[in-house]
Amino acid sequence: MSSEHRRLPQPSPFRQESYSPGELSGECGKEWQSMKINTNEFVEVAQRELTNKRTRTLLDMISSVVDNLRDSAMSSFPDPSAALEYGRAIRAESLARLPELLDQFEKNAVAHGASVFWARTADEANQFVLDLARKRNIKYVTKGKSMVTEEIGLNDALAADGIDVFEADLGEFIAQLLKRPPFHIVGPAINVPVDEISALFLKKGLIERATQDPVELGAAARRYLRQKFQHLEMGITGVNMAVAETGAIINVENEGNIRFSKSSPKTQVSFMTIEKVVPTMRDAMHLLRLLCRNCTAQKISAYVSMDSGPKKPGEIDGPEELFIVILDNGRSAIYANENLREALRCIRCGACMYGCPIYMKIGGYPYGWAYSGPMGQVVNPLLLGLDRTQHLYRACTLCGKCKSICPGGIDHPKLFLLYRSMDVEGDVQLKGQSRPWLEQKAMNILSCGARRAWHWNAGVKGARPVVNLHARGNVISQMPLLGGWFRCRDLPAVGRKTFRERMKETGQY
Amino acid sequence: MTNPREDIFSRLNSARGTELPQRPFVPPLSEISHDRDRMIRAFTDNLTAQTAVVHHVADFAAAAEKLAEVVAAENIKSVVVSSDAVIRKLDLPEWGRKHNLTVLQAEDCTGREHFKNMVFAEADAAITGADFAIAESGTLCLIHDKDQPRLISLAPIMHIALVPLERLFPVYESAIDRIFGDPHNVPSHVTFITGPSMTADIQGVPFKGMHGPKKLTVILIG
Ligand code: SF4
Repeated sequence: MSSEHRRLPQPSPFRQESYSPGELSGECGKEWQSMKINTNEFVEVAQRELTNKRTRTLLDMISSVVDNLRDSAMSSFPDPSAALEYGRAIRAESLARLPELLDQFEKNAVAHGASVFWARTADEANQFVLDLARKRNIKYVTKGKSMVTEEIGLNDALAADGIDVFEADLGEFIAQLLKRPPFHIVGPAINVPVDEISALFLKKGLIERATQDPVELGAAARRYLRQKFQHLEMGITGVNMAVAETGAIINVENEGNIRFSKSSPKTQVSFMTIEKVVPTMRDAMHLLRLLCRNCTAQKISAYVSMDSGPKKPGEIDGPEELFIVILDNGRSAIYANENLREALRCIRCGACMYGCPIYMKIGGYPYGWAYSGPMGQVVNPLLLGLDRTQHLYRACTLCGKCKSICPGGIDHPKLFLLYRSMDVEGDVQLKGQSRPWLEQKAMNILSCGARRAWHWNAGVKGARPVVNLHARGNVISQMPLLGGWFRCRDLPAVGRKTFRERMKETGQY
Repeated sequence: MTNPREDIFSRLNSARGTELPQRPFVPPLSEISHDRDRMIRAFTDNLTAQTAVVHHVADFAAAAEKLAEVVAAENIKSVVVSSDAVIRKLDLPEWGRKHNLTVLQAEDCTGREHFKNMVFAEADAAITGADFAIAESGTLCLIHDKDQPRLISLAPIMHIALVPLERLFPVYESAIDRIFGDPHNVPSHVTFITGPSMTADIQGVPFKGMHGPKKLTVILIG
């Protein structure tokens, strides 16, 4: 994997500071940087978020509700497990046929009049939009919620060039005003308290007096963004699915901001990554069913919109030109590795996050980037490198819940174990770190010891008193050289004699 | 510098192919076996669950009356209407004169800006015809073209859709196969609409009318 795709977005003049861990769900007034990559602060942020009462209350509340909702949504399928299996098969086939499907998609999209632009890196994609915006003399754009534009830092790139970007999804809009990363893929600002949003809207002049009413706040955002939509010249959106068979791109949403961004302006730019393509419209319909049930426990979202090219002559709204940016950003290199390829099956439904016992304790901030939860743990190490995401793929209980509900058919625990082993082995492509000299030696000694019974017995005998030197009361919670291991674990003190010794003493051995 | 497209494809193509996985059987959808009445019930139940209001009338004459009733109850003064086949049958300009309503149409606009101003600022409600309706989730399917502009069903605060019952189908595939069946002649834009615009982004509190319509009313005809 070349290093170019990992280049970080340039810091913009508007987003200087990085957020301080743990204060993320804190009071208003502090302005956080939104998309600096902070995956290496996982432990610190997680620790602070664990003691953050608001985060805790919210997540506890959500976890008691969401799983049931999702379950009952899935049970509206006549045969839920068959539906899940079929979705997984579609995603597996989509990847197996990826080059062929991308080619077919492009041909069909172009035949309908869309312009397809291929981008290897975040920079290439950003540069394309910048040039386009300059040529069209664009002052501002609205953006529908899209993870890929977060991944490439598009907002910062445009802002640095003096083009205002308005996030148009309410949650993203709030997160953007707070300069804070999204807390969750489905509800990016679901954790931000009403009074904080009220204070923020007051400060920005969206409302005239403070209010505790979420509906009033939503209406204020509606008024504000409506002006933007009405005079919009260029709209930017992501893509949920791209259909090879027809060249259509599909967006799924509840609010209508994506529909506005695709209907009002003369220029539409839709961003997708290479793995978004699916074979047929019928496949897309099936995935749509799974996506909505898993994402928001709806049978279908309020709006699903499909574009095949720009508007036709005589049509009064809709884009005169439709650009589809197909982004690689490291994925073709991931694709080359058959074992890692599976991670590209994700359809971004968010189910795995709500299912994850880790996410449900710490929320989205510790993951430190656009993708959080098991999805982020699977994707971030591949996109950012194993070295910067150590804590992510290690923070997993391997309970397997994510895998069991994933409509993409991703085996998350298997991938985490793979990342761990690739890291230990110092994989070059993914920037594995291998282990410190001391740890390697310790492992060598351990494996040598474990090979012969008498080695083992002698070792255990010798080690016991040494280990117990560090016991406090009956608990060992710290030991020199093993600080990392004990960071989140305690051991009971070791018994004076081994089980076998005691068996011998009782004469039963 | 090499071409990005070629670069990406050469990497993808040089990757080792996995065997094409076998697909299981397409899972059955129970709606396919629904009769007409069951479809109507499923459509209505699913859509009203999203706070939309569904009326069922016998014919187009009754639809025009129902429409006037709805518009009066909501105290609407001006409507923007599309001019697709369903709507044309109603002769809404004449209907508007009778009920003292301003009826706005895209064809009277000088261009995009004029039209946008109409849908954003002038119209209290929108009336569209649905190209398909889908029972499995209570979904309206609108094909957008010069007779059915996109923003009509989106910008005004209320959306009223008319659905002749012969356009009601059990599942998405029924509509999709018809719309995309001829690959050389597909519409530029198709939307599925299931209830009004909504969000729950602030503290999980549901809020209708986030960006698009706050109210959706559907009149089934036939
Ligand atoms: S990994 Fe699976 S469950 Fe998680 S977001 Fe992606 S598709 Fe959904």
